[in-house]
Amino acid sequence: MASNATYKDRQLLAVIGDEDSVTGLLLAGIGHVTEGADAQRNFLVVDSKTETSQIEQAFRNFTEERKDIAILLINQHIAERIRHSVDTFADPFPAVLEIPSKDHPYDPEKDSVLKRVRRLFGE
Amino acid sequence: MSGAVGREPVFPTRQSLGLMKSKLKGAETGHSLLKRKSEALTKRFREITRRIDEAKRKMGRVMQIAAFSLAEVSYAVGGDIGYQVQESAKQARFRVRAKQENVSGVFLPQFESYTQEGVNDFALTGLGKGGQQIQRCRETYARAVETLVELASLQTAFLILDEVIKVVNRRVNAIEHVIIPRTENTIKYINSELDELDREEFYRLKKVSGKKQRDTAAADAEILAARKKQEAEEAAAGGSAPAKPEPEAEAADVLGENEDNDVIF
Amino acid sequence: MEGLFFNTNGGFVEGVVRGYRNTLLTGQNYSNLVQCETIDGKYSLSSSDRLSTTLKFSPIDVKLQLGPAYGDFLAALPPNPSTSALAGKMTDKLVSEFRYLVAQSVGSTAKFLEYLTYGYMIDNIALLITGTLHERDTRELLERCHPLGWFETLPVLCVASNIEELYNSVLIETPLAPYFKGSLSHQDLDELNIEIVRNTLYKNYLEDFHNFVQTHPDFSGPTREIMSEILQFEADRRAINITLNSFGTELSKQERRKLYPEFGNLYPEGSLMLSRADDIEGVALAVSAVSDYKSFFDAVGLSQGGGGMGGMGGGPADGKSLEDLFYQKEMEMSKMVFTRQFTPAVVYAWMKLKEQEIRNVTWISECIAQNQKERIGNFISVF
Repeated sequence: MASNATYKDRQLLAVIGDEDSVTGLLLAGIGHVTEGADAQRNFLVVDSKTETSQIEQAFRNFTEERKDIAILLINQHIAERIRHSVDTFADPFPAVLEIPSKDHPYDPEKDSVLKRVRRLFGE
Repeated sequence: MSGAVGREPVFPTRQSLGLMKSKLKGAETGHSLLKRKSEALTKRFREITRRIDEAKRKMGRVMQIAAFSLAEVSYAVGGDIGYQVQESAKQARFRVRAKQENVSGVFLPQFESYTQEGVNDFALTGLGKGGQQIQRCRETYARAVETLVELASLQTAFLILDEVIKVVNRRVNAIEHVIIPRTENTIKYINSELDELDREEFYRLKKVSGKKQRDTAAADAEILAARKKQEAEEAAAGGSAPAKPEPEAEAADVLGENEDNDVIF
Repeated sequence: MEGLFFNTNGGFVEGVVRGYRNTLLTGQNYSNLVQCETIDGKYSLSSSDRLSTTLKFSPIDVKLQLGPAYGDFLAALPPNPSTSALAGKMTDKLVSEFRYLVAQSVGSTAKFLEYLTYGYMIDNIALLITGTLHERDTRELLERCHPLGWFETLPVLCVASNIEELYNSVLIETPLAPYFKGSLSHQDLDELNIEIVRNTLYKNYLEDFHNFVQTHPDFSGPTREIMSEILQFEADRRAINITLNSFGTELSKQERRKLYPEFGNLYPEGSLMLSRADDIEGVALAVSAVSDYKSFFDAVGLSQGGGGMGGMGGGPADGKSLEDLFYQKEMEMSKMVFTRQFTPAVVYAWMKLKEQEIRNVTWISECIAQNQKERIGNFISVF
C-alpha cells in the first residue's frame, strides 16, 4: 500500500521500447530529461544490440530508484527478455504496463498482469 | 483440529470468562463486517478485471493505429526522425497526476493525464517536410497514451485490490477459523473448569461436614465411655474408702470436660 | 549543338541511368505488391519451387515481388524482416548504383553528382550537431548517417568534443563550409534549434546548387532548363512547408523568412507574402500566383493542416495531403526529365524516383505488416 507522499510526486511516464515506440511516445510528449550534471532520461531505446543487463538496469532504475515515475511502459517483446524481473515486480507504483510494438502485436497470453487475472479466475 | 486451535492462556476465572465472552462477540461482529468489505471489494475487483481485459485489447488496437501514424511520418519525411526526437526531448509535456478514490476504505489511485502547457520540444521537427504528419502523429500518440494511462489506473487498482482482498480474506479466515473457535474453546474450557471447581467445593464441603459428624460421634462415644467408667469407678469407690477423694477430683475434671464439650456442641 | 560533346564525358553515365530507370517498379509491380500477404513468405520454398510458384499462384510476399528489381540486395535480409530493414536494403542498392555512377563520371558531371549528395550531408551534419550538443558518443551516430551523405572526413567530425570544435572541423573538413560561413556562427549552432540550422543550410545549398547549374558553362542547354525548373519547385516546396509547419511555434516571421530560398517561382513576391502569412489561408493566397500550387491548395481544401486533423484518416477526402501532391508533382517532373537528352539531370531525376520507390515500398510493407490495408493505395507511382 503506497502512502500519500510516495505517489503525489509521481508525474512522469517512462518507456523502455524499440525505436519506433519510443519515438512515437516521445512525440506524444512524455519525454523528460532531468536537469543538472547527471541528466537522466526517462526512456530507453532497445535494439538488437542492447544487452539484457542494460534493460534490467533501466527497469530497476525506473521502478525502484526513481521516485518520479508513475507509469512505466515497456514493449512486450522486451518485457519478455526480462520476464522474471517484470513478473516479480508486484508493487502498485509505478504501474508497469506492457504495450505492443509495431513489429510485435499484442499477445494477452504473455502479459504478467493478465496472467494474474487469468489465474484468479482459474482459467 | 482442536489441538491446532488451542485456547487462550488464561486462568479459568469468572472475570476472564466475561472477557472471553465479549471477545467472542467482538470477533463475530468483526467477521461479518470484514466479510461484507471483502465482498464489496471483490465485486469492484471483478469489474476492474473485466475492464482491464477490455482495455488491454483496446490498447492493442490503439497502439497499432499510433504505430501506423508513425509510418505515415516516415513516409512523408522520407527518413528517420527517431534520433532527433530522442535528443530534443527535454521536458515532459504529457504528465499524470494521481488522485484517490475510496472504495470501502481502500484508497485506489486514479491516474489523470494532463498536458503541461507551453512545453513543446518538437514544434520545429519536420520543418522542412513532414511537419504536418508529425503533428498528426503526435496527436494520435497522445490519444494512445491517454488510453495507456487509463489502463495503468485500472492495473494499479487491480494490483492494490488484489493485495487488499488477500489481506481482508486472510483476516476473515483468521477470525472464522482461528479466533472464533479458539475463543469458544476457551469459554468452554473456563466453563468446564468452573464447573469442576464447583463440584470440588461441593464435595469438599460434604467431606468436611461428614468428618465433623464423625468427630462428633466419636466425641459422644468417648463421653459416654467416660461416664460409664465413672459410674463404674463410683461403684468401685463404694467398696474401698481411702481412694475416694482422688476420684472425686478427677470426676470434677471430667465434669468440666463435659461442660466444655457441651459448649462446643 | 550542346549534344555534340556531351557524350564524350557524360554519355556513359546517362546511358547507365537510363538503364537503371528501366528497373524502377511499374504500376503493374505495385498492383502485385499491394496484394501481398506478408513481407517475407513464411512458406519455405526451395529455389526450384519458387519459380513455378510465382507462375502458378498470385503474389505471396513483398520480398518475392521485389526479387527481379532488387535481387541480391534482399538476399541478406533476415527472415521476417522489419520494414526499416527492407528499406535499408533498398537504399543500399540505390547507394551502390549511385556510387558506380560517381566513379564513372568526370568533369562537370562529377561535380553535378557531388552536388546531389550535399543534401544528405546536411542531414548527417545536423545529426552530428545534435549528438555533440547533447554530449553523446558521436561515433555511434555514424551508423545512422545517410550513406549518400557520407564523405571521407565525416568520421573526423566525431573527434570534436564541443560545438566550437565541431564547427571548426565542419568548416575545414566538409564541402559544406560555404553554407555555414556567413549565415551561421558556432554560437548559432548552440542556440538555434537544430531544425533552423538544418533549414538554413538547406536553403544555402539550394541557392548554391541553383547558381551552379545556372552559371556553369557545361550546362548551357537542357540541364539548366530542367534543373532550374526542378530546383525552383524544390525551393517553393520548402518555403511553403516551412511556413505551414511554423504556425503555432516560436519561430518568428523574420526568422522564418530567412529560411526561404531566394529563388523559385514564388520569389520574391510570393515569398514575401508567405513570410507574412499567419494561417493557411494566407499561404494559399501567397501561392495563388502559381497555378500549380493553387490547384494543390484547392485540391486539399483549406482545412488541411488547420483544424481537420481528426483521427487516423488525417487528410482530405481523397486521401491525398499537400505533401502527397508535392511528391506527385515532383515525380511527374522527374519522369519528364527522361524525355530529355544530353544532361546529367537524369541522375537527379532517377534518384528522386528511386527514393520515392523506396518510400512506396516501405509504405506498402508497413501497411501489410500492420494490417492496415485500407490505405495501402496511398503511394505514388508514375510509370
